[in-house]
Order: sequence, then structure tokens, then C-alpha cells
Amino acid sequence: MKSITIPSLVIENLQLKQQQKTLLSLDEEIIGGQVLTIMGPSGSGKSTLLNWLVGMLPSDFDATGKLYLNGADVSNIASHQRHIGLLYQDPLLFPHLTVEGNIAFAMPKGNKQDRLDEISDALKQVGLSGMEKRCPQHLSGGQQARVALLRVLLSKPKAILLDEPFSKLDSQLRQETRELVFDEIRRHSLPAVMVTHDESDALATQGKVITLDKLI
Amino acid sequence: MIIANTFFTRTVRTSPAIIIALLVVPVLGGLLGVVLPAFGWFPALGATEFGLFGFEALFATPGIERMLLLSYSTSLISTLLAFLITTLILASYFNSPWLKRIQRLLGPILVIPHAAAAIAIGFLIAPSGFISRLFSPWLTGWDTPPDWLFPHDPFGLSIILGLALKELPFLLLIALGVLAQPEIGSVLKQQHKVASSLGYCPMTGFFKVILPSLYGYMRLPILAVLAYSSASVEIPLILGPNTPPTLAVAIMQWFSDVDLSLRIKASSGAIVQILVTLSLLLTWWGIELLIKKCSAAWLTNGEREHGGMLIKRFTNVVTFIMISTIFLALLGMVFWSFAGFWSYPNILPDQFMTMHWQSALTQMQTPLFNTLVIAFSSTVLAIILTLLALESEQQSNKTISAVSGLIIYLPLLIPSIAFLFGLVWMFEQVNSQHTYLNVVFAHLLFVLPYVFLSLANSYRRLDPRFSSVAASLGAPPSKIFWKLKLPLLISPILIASALGLAISFSQYLPTLLAGAGRINTITTEAVTLANGASRRTSAVYALMQMLLPALFFILAWLTPKIFSRARV
Repeated sequence: MKSITIPSLVIENLQLKQQQKTLLSLDEEIIGGQVLTIMGPSGSGKSTLLNWLVGMLPSDFDATGKLYLNGADVSNIASHQRHIGLLYQDPLLFPHLTVEGNIAFAMPKGNKQDRLDEISDALKQVGLSGMEKRCPQHLSGGQQARVALLRVLLSKPKAILLDEPFSKLDSQLRQETRELVFDEIRRHSLPAVMVTHDESDALATQGKVITLDKLI
Repeated sequence: MIIANTFFTRTVRTSPAIIIALLVVPVLGGLLGVVLPAFGWFPALGATEFGLFGFEALFATPGIERMLLLSYSTSLISTLLAFLITTLILASYFNSPWLKRIQRLLGPILVIPHAAAAIAIGFLIAPSGFISRLFSPWLTGWDTPPDWLFPHDPFGLSIILGLALKELPFLLLIALGVLAQPEIGSVLKQQHKVASSLGYCPMTGFFKVILPSLYGYMRLPILAVLAYSSASVEIPLILGPNTPPTLAVAIMQWFSDVDLSLRIKASSGAIVQILVTLSLLLTWWGIELLIKKCSAAWLTNGEREHGGMLIKRFTNVVTFIMISTIFLALLGMVFWSFAGFWSYPNILPDQFMTMHWQSALTQMQTPLFNTLVIAFSSTVLAIILTLLALESEQQSNKTISAVSGLIIYLPLLIPSIAFLFGLVWMFEQVNSQHTYLNVVFAHLLFVLPYVFLSLANSYRRLDPRFSSVAASLGAPPSKIFWKLKLPLLISPILIASALGLAISFSQYLPTLLAGAGRINTITTEAVTLANGASRRTSAVYALMQMLLPALFFILAWLTPKIFSRARV
């Protein structure tokens, strides 16, 4: 096992296979605050990698290798006990909960008022002050993306995975949201893995980029 | 869009109005035919003054409180049970291959008519039924059938079991149908993943994230199940108590009584039955509100684990018991249909014989012929009317209004016992002596909504560019309809036809009333035999009830495959 001193996500000797064919091999260490970008065409195994990282690999895939999170082996830990946050291209906010409810849902248990105060502060920081009681459906795309980000961050994850998180935003909004997400990742010292098709997203991370080939 | 004014387009244009008239006139007329006698106006008996004596007679009936309580409690508890078990199964096996396996096991149960299901469950829980035999004498020590009251227990537990087991596959398949829709199912599955990545165990994630959204799509089918079970006749008649029965069964008995004066009391009972159904719907709505209010804080309190493993184990046991019960009920019925002498407590009959099948098949020729003729007539009419109405939507470029949509489902929403007797009165008023046609018409009221429900989605989803291309090549609307749309929609049309036939096969009350007891079908015979002498003959009839719809569903499924293979 590799020595760990700061928050990190370590992918050790990963071999992802589908029907005996190797889809991808990976051996990487991502330090807190860094973003590892995975690029590649459809079918190259990007989403499968995220599924493995989050512990939801479909049964038609096989994987060997280890996953360490802050030094602990989480390879065989259930998905909901890994503390790895997920941010998709769709915000996937829960429509039956308000903005406040969506974020509270993600937060650890605690004093109700303390949690509400924390939500208000967080919303203020991303320019969504006073939107606590709004229905997510009534927010713009950019506002929804920011709520989704807060929801992940306030769940206190140990790492974060980004699955083409900016692909549905227009160019202006894309740049703003991207900056916000990467700033927050650095501020919280979270190791992150991002899957994307977009080179500008990859460049903006200022981190390592791995390009996968399509399996033939 | 400019549409040519031809005979075809004119027929298509008038079809929605024909459907609405076909449904509104008999249902509202039927209701009127019950409301007037309920308030004392029944000229045939010389009652020409309005009053409440029908209701007074009704509430003076011994055991009326118990009838009301039975109707209310059995339908509420059975629907709650069916919904709870459906939810537990979904929560425990969400995103698991087991959900598909359970769906495959329970799917065929849907085509089993209520009467056949009740007969099968009756055989299972009777004192000499399969359950008692399975555990005797090694566990119970019984050498003779026990002295218990199942079926026909006074508390309606058998009714609850019958209704819950019949409605559960329906609710489960409705939920799975919603999850199978790409635009809904994939979002819900991703939201479940998000919940999991936020630390929620799969079970809690389901209850806090999926159920609140999924329930919105299940509400109407649940309310339909509740309304149906509150006024259903077949299951309480076969599995329920007699002293007193449920209100719907009592109303049917009063209406069928030779003493015509009981018609006024029966009509008042039908009005009260509507109130019982309404109060059940209100109760459900109240429960919904209460749960919503009580769970608001729980949804966001951050609690991520609520004994998920324990609930999953409990669900595994419940699912196993439920599937075993259904399997044993069906197996028991097959055994009874071939049983010679079957001494207690043997699990298998002492001798197997085909005599009951041979004699029943000889006797059932007329009922079988009636069943098929009525079902085919009503289904063909329903398919034609539905296709024309859906084509009219496409020609006018707008879907039918919300009111018209509601009217199409009117016969499913209003308890049939409340308007069918009025419908018979209407037939008498227009002097309709053709019992066959009356029965076909009565069946059409129930077949049409299901056929419409089944076909509408496929027809509306048909890519409109096919028609545009055909029109640009010079094809008139009739040619586009016959040569393009119908061949493209052959699979959904066949499935809707099989569904229509299955609905018609299962009708008991409409056949009995509109046919004035003179037209026997497999279902009316099966219900009559269920409480009669021979368990063996009854088993044969109930199995025939199941085999008929299954046969047509298989045909509907196979036919397009055979033809498409032949074309290759």
C-alpha cells in the first residue's frame, strides 16, 4: 500500500474487464485538491470507471485492483459507506424537496437549527441567498448546478467524482460553474476524478489528463 | 393540417363523440335508474312519491353496520397491504435482477379473473385445503379437517387475502411500468445512485428519494384498486361471509330477489355504496396528507440507515410466502380438477382422473360459446372505436380533453354495482329484448376503457413523419390509416385485443344483470359453482377462466413474431 499523509484517492493496479477483454488499466494517486481528468470516446470505459470507484459496477463487468481512500481500503465497502460524492451532468435534485431540503438531505445528522444556518451560509456563498424554500424545478440550470454542488460538498465527502458535470451548461455558465466547482474542490482539499469529452474542462483542472482508447 | 372531406375522415371525426355518448348515456342513465328508485320513485311498483323510505329500510336491515364495516375495512386493508408489499418489494430489490424475476413470476397473475383467483384461494385456505394438508398431520396433528371458518370468515380476512393477492401484481407491474419509461426510470435510478453516494443505504434511499416521486405515478391506479375493491362482488361472494355479506353482495342479492319491493332498498344501497367508495377515497387522501406531514422532517433529518437489512430479510420472507401462496393455490386447483378420491390429510389425491374435465367440457360448450362471442364482439367494437378516436386526435392535431379522458374511465371509477342495475332498467325502458346485444353492450363499457388505456400510448407515440411522408407521396388519410398505421401498430393492437378479451371473459355482474340470468358464460358458471356442490367441477371452470385469457395473450405475443419471421 502506498504511504498516505494527506487526503488522497489511490487507484492501485485496476484492471476493468468486460467479457474477458480488458477495458482499461489504471494505477493512479490523486492528492486532495487535485482533479484527475479521464477523457476518451464513448465506450472507452469512462463511466464504468466511475461506477467502479463509487461501488456500483454492473454485473457484466469484472474488476481487479484496490481503491484506497485516505489510506483505507474501500474496494469491498458498500457504495453508500464509501463517502465518495457524485456530480452528474444533470443536477438530479430531488423534486419532492425544496432547495433547503435537498441540501439538508445530504448533510450529516445534527442540530436542526445549526444545519439550517449552515445551509443559508452555503447558499449565500454561491449567490443563492434566500432561495431555501424554492422548488428545484423553479431554478435556472446554473442555479440547479450550484445547489447540486452544495449538496455534494455539505455531505462531507472524502472524494468527489464528476461525470461530465458541465456538458449541459451554456459557455458563459459553464466557465463560471467550472471555476466554482474546482475552487470548492481545492478549498475542501478533495481528491477528484472527472470524466469529460471537453478539452477546455480538462485544461481548466490544471491537473493530469488520461485519454482512454475505445475497446475494439 | 388540411384534411380531405371523405367518408373515412367524417367517420373518424365523429368517433370521439360516439365513444363519449356510448359511455356517458349508459353510466349516467344507469345512475339515474338507481337514484330515482333510491328516493322512492318506482312506478312499476306503484311508488310514485319521492321519499327516504328506501334508505330507512336499508338502515333497518339487520347487520347493515357490519356490512358497511366489512366493505370499508376489507377494501382499505387489502389495498394498504397490496401497496405496502409492493413498496417493500420495490425497495428491497430496486436495481437488482430479482425485480425482473419477480415481475416475470407475477405478470401472468394479472390475466387471472377475480372469480378464478378467489376460487383458487378458497381451495387453499379451506379446512381441507392445500395449506391444512401441507402441515398435517406432522405439524398440526390433524387427522380430520380442522373446524375453522376460512373461507367465509366473519371478519373478512379471506376477502382481504384474495383482494390483496390479486391487486398486488397489478400495483407492482404499474410501478415497474413507470420505472421502465426511459424519461422517468433512468432519472429515478440516477437519483438513487446520488442518494447512495451521499451515504444512504439502498433501502432508506428508496423510501426517501424514489418513493415520493414514484407514488405520484401510482396514485390513480391505487385509487382505482381501492374503488374497485370496495364494490367488488366476485371475491366477497366466493370468499366472504354470508351473515351478513359485504354491502355490494347484499345489494346484488336484493336486486336479484323475486320480491321486487326490495329493488327500492337495493337502489338506496347502491347510493350508499357510492358513498362508501367516496369515503374510502377520502380516507386514502387523508392518510396521504398525514404521511406527507409526518414524514417532511424525517426526509431531511440526515438519518441514513433504518434497519435496511432487517426490512430486506422481512421482505424476502413476505415475497416468498406470497409467491408460494399463489403457486400453491394454482397447484391445488389443478389437483382438484384431476382428483378422484382425495382423503385428508394426503397432499396428493389418492387417484387422478380426467373425468371432471371430460364432463365439464361437454357441459361448458354453450357457456364457452357465449363467452367467446360476447368477448369478441365487445373487443372488436372497442378496438374499432379506440382506433378511430385516436386517429381523430392525430387528424385534429390535439389530444382529447381532460373531461373526455375522464369520461372514458368513468365505468372504472364509478362502482359498477351502482349503475348496472340502472342500465338494466334503461334496457327495459327502451324495450331492448336482445339479451345478447345487451350483454355485449354492458361488456363494452368495461372493455373500452382498458383497450383505450392500452392502445393510446402506442398510437400517440407513432412518429408523425411516417404519415407526412405517405401523404407527400399521394396517399389519402384512409390509406395511411389502413396500410401504414395499422400494420405498424399490429403488436399493440393485438395486445390491446387480448386485454379486451381478458376483461370481457372476467365480467360477472354485467353478464348476470344485462343477460337477465339467461346468458351463461364460463365466469358466471364458475361463480355459481364456487359455492356449490363439486369442488372438482368448480376447479375445471376456474382453470378454463385462466386458460382462455392466457391463450389469447400468448397468441397476441406470438402472432407478430411469426409474421415478421415469415417476411424475412
